[in-house]
Amino acid sequence: MSDVLDTAVAAETPEGIVLELRPAGLSARLYAFLFDGVVRLFILYAAALGLGFLGGIGAALLLILAFALEWFYPVAFELTSSGATPGKRVFRLKVVMDSGLPVTPAASVARNLLRVADFLPLFYGFAIVSVLTRRDGKRLGDLAAATLVVHEPPAVPRIALTNVPPIAPARPLSPEDQAAVMALAARAPRLTPERLDELAALAASVSGDAGRAGPQVTRRVLGVAHWLLGQRGTDSRPAKPHRLERAS
Amino acid sequence: MTPFHFEQTYQAEWAELEALIDRTTGRKTANDSGARAAGHVPDRDAVRAARSARPSRDDRRATAAQDRVRLAALYRRACEQLALARARAYPAYIIDRLERVTAAAHQLIYHRREFRFAQLRDLALVAFPRSVRAHRGYVAVSAATFLLPTFIIGLLVYWRPEFILSVVSQEMASQFEQMYSPTAQALGRRTASTDWMMFGYYIRNNVGVSFQCFAGGLFAGIGSLFFLAWNGAFGGAIAGYLTERGLSSTFYSFIATHSSFELTAIVLSGAAGLRIGHALLAPGRQTRRQALVTATSETSVLLYGVTVMLIVAAAIEAFWSSAQWLPLPVKYSVAALCWACVIGFFVVQGRRDD
Repeated sequence: MSDVLDTAVAAETPEGIVLELRPAGLSARLYAFLFDGVVRLFILYAAALGLGFLGGIGAALLLILAFALEWFYPVAFELTSSGATPGKRVFRLKVVMDSGLPVTPAASVARNLLRVADFLPLFYGFAIVSVLTRRDGKRLGDLAAATLVVHEPPAVPRIALTNVPPIAPARPLSPEDQAAVMALAARAPRLTPERLDELAALAASVSGDAGRAGPQVTRRVLGVAHWLLGQRGTDSRPAKPHRLERAS
Repeated sequence: MTPFHFEQTYQAEWAELEALIDRTTGRKTANDSGARAAGHVPDRDAVRAARSARPSRDDRRATAAQDRVRLAALYRRACEQLALARARAYPAYIIDRLERVTAAAHQLIYHRREFRFAQLRDLALVAFPRSVRAHRGYVAVSAATFLLPTFIIGLLVYWRPEFILSVVSQEMASQFEQMYSPTAQALGRRTASTDWMMFGYYIRNNVGVSFQCFAGGLFAGIGSLFFLAWNGAFGGAIAGYLTERGLSSTFYSFIATHSSFELTAIVLSGAAGLRIGHALLAPGRQTRRQALVTATSETSVLLYGVTVMLIVAAAIEAFWSSAQWLPLPVKYSVAALCWACVIGFFVVQGRRDD
């Protein structure tokens, strides 16, 4: 199921690890675009105030500025180290190549010139259809330039350990089961106690409480999670001798 | 090895790598705050060392070289640790930190820097003319699509001036007529500031036309063909009309020089668009998408060149073409020289190492 719903794009590096890229959808990109529009208008307005004193030459510089903003504003910002225009930065988006690398000058120029095609037939019609229908959210310019607009996800917070004594698992656990129990402990602070109890009841067999439920069972399941994470309390039961890494 | 143990064993390396990345990118705030939000305190000593180690340029260069070596080594180790952490299904925050740090280091290590001065010179003097020659078939089709309507509509309007109304409105036609009449103020007595203003106007207008001819290629090349033919027909109609009205000397002396850059640039961007359209229609042994990506990256050199040519064209149009006090022979000989230079540049330049 997760394969069907997940829009993540995998980019493999030469070192053999897979970078997960999270393509941005229409709404995030639209907000960023509108924000950039406001920024551009503001720059033009500020320039108009300043250049107004110069008369004809000022008007000319304004026209040149409008030209530069229209075509090269995105290119200039995408080639900085952040790889994002101010609007994209505000909404934590970024332009990268399909490989996860920083966008190259050639690709940035191509994707921004091809806006002309994306704009057709009316107000980015083709771009909107393309972003909505494609799983990787590319508009036509992104397709041709082999670029992606991706989310920069916020850092995952460290697991905040509740004060529960660690308990060794009651049976050998496969790596998947270990991951599930640790993930439950990571989510615990964000769940209501009732929901936490329900979820812990599903995993109760890891602490030898299969079939039971309640706050006590939850504490024991969380205790197993802490044990798996590597906590060894002084007052806990002696750790059982299974080698957890090879449990599967 | 438990997750905590794993983290304790390697987190000094991760912190060092994070500090190195921050130092290399010169970006401190963003990554620091991200790390702090995640509960990781960056290695203070490494950061302080990075700040204090800036006495001389040689020293800086030496540290930068050391940094690069260390960065690569730490990056490879972090990749290995990430693979281990994933295989052992360690908690999300550990994998997340490793993913972040490897992604950032990956970007630094495989970043391609295209814009150095020598490369820019190569791009302009070798890669651009070569790319034009490599696309000569597309250039020929593009030029034909542009020039045929120009001549056909031009002759048609010259022969029957009323046809101009099927291309432009009556007001526009009379406006053009006024603009190029020998007594016109617009051309005759322009001040420096109007020159600048026209420069701004021309640049915007011409670049718009030219990029349209390129981007239209995404629609199987039909867009490029349409915009090329339309702009050709428009130019031809105006030329035919003004010639019929007897304004040929002001008109041709005005357009002769800058058209060498401007029309060539439009034809070249049309050729780039046709290349993209052709890649979509006949991808050969690649998928359509691969073919599109290849075609786009190979035409990017053309686009750089076209942009520069358009800026040159707008400058000539605003500051030289409009100068009416210059005698016609001078204008026409400069125009001939420009045409010869532009064509010669594409035919001859950059062949030495072919």
